[in-house]
Amino acid sequence: MEIPEQQREIFETAREILERLLEMMDLPATVALCEEFTVLDDEGNAASIGLNIEGEDLGILIGRRGQTMSSLQYLLRLMLARKMETRIPIVVDVEGYKQRRCEGLRLLANRLAEQVRTRKTPFTMEPMTAFERRVVHLALADHPDVYTESTGLGEARKVVIAPKKIQAY
Amino acid sequence: MKELVEYIARSIVNEPDAVNVNEETNEEGITLKLTVADDDKGRIIGKQGQIAQAMRTLLRVKAAKAATRVRLEIM
Repeated sequence: MEIPEQQREIFETAREILERLLEMMDLPATVALCEEFTVLDDEGNAASIGLNIEGEDLGILIGRRGQTMSSLQYLLRLMLARKMETRIPIVVDVEGYKQRRCEGLRLLANRLAEQVRTRKTPFTMEPMTAFERRVVHLALADHPDVYTESTGLGEARKVVIAPKKIQAY
Repeated sequence: MKELVEYIARSIVNEPDAVNVNEETNEEGITLKLTVADDDKGRIIGKQGQIAQAMRTLLRVKAAKAATRVRLEIM
């Protein structure tokens, strides 16, 4: 996959900043394009750019519930916005952790949807980050029998999967 | 430790030249005191301290590798 010309500079700058940050954290690693999180729009421009940090022993960079990874992503977006005056979402992954988590979440979402469909009662998932909730919402967006919504505030916000029609008895 | 904070802070403020970090080490670990231009304070603290918190998270990783503790104070 090739990054479109217009976004190449953003990608290169993001990679430079991220590699510099990692070096300063004494965790030298390489940063590569992550195809899973690089999304092209209808005109072929990048709507989001995914970066994957590759190296040895990077668990420390993921952190509890991905907290360190989120901090890296948050700061990188800020630093990049200052430098490039652009607002393309940047997604930072470490060793494909986020990608695997997304795949797992999609499977889980579909399994739970099946359960909700047969039992006809809503199911509330564990609290998740905005990004993870989005994955679940998107995975079930076109589901014929269930719909999803988020409830709760802040750290405790969670997805509810509910049947679309309430059966009349 | 101080280079990491300097690099991040300089990249997000309006007045990079006004960024200064003072590093002190004592028996409890390392204390970093970050000063920026008055108008930039909000830019390094962030909504509900989010930016300061993210910087502390990265510092903690680096400190853990060096088997020490680090505190970040914004003056």
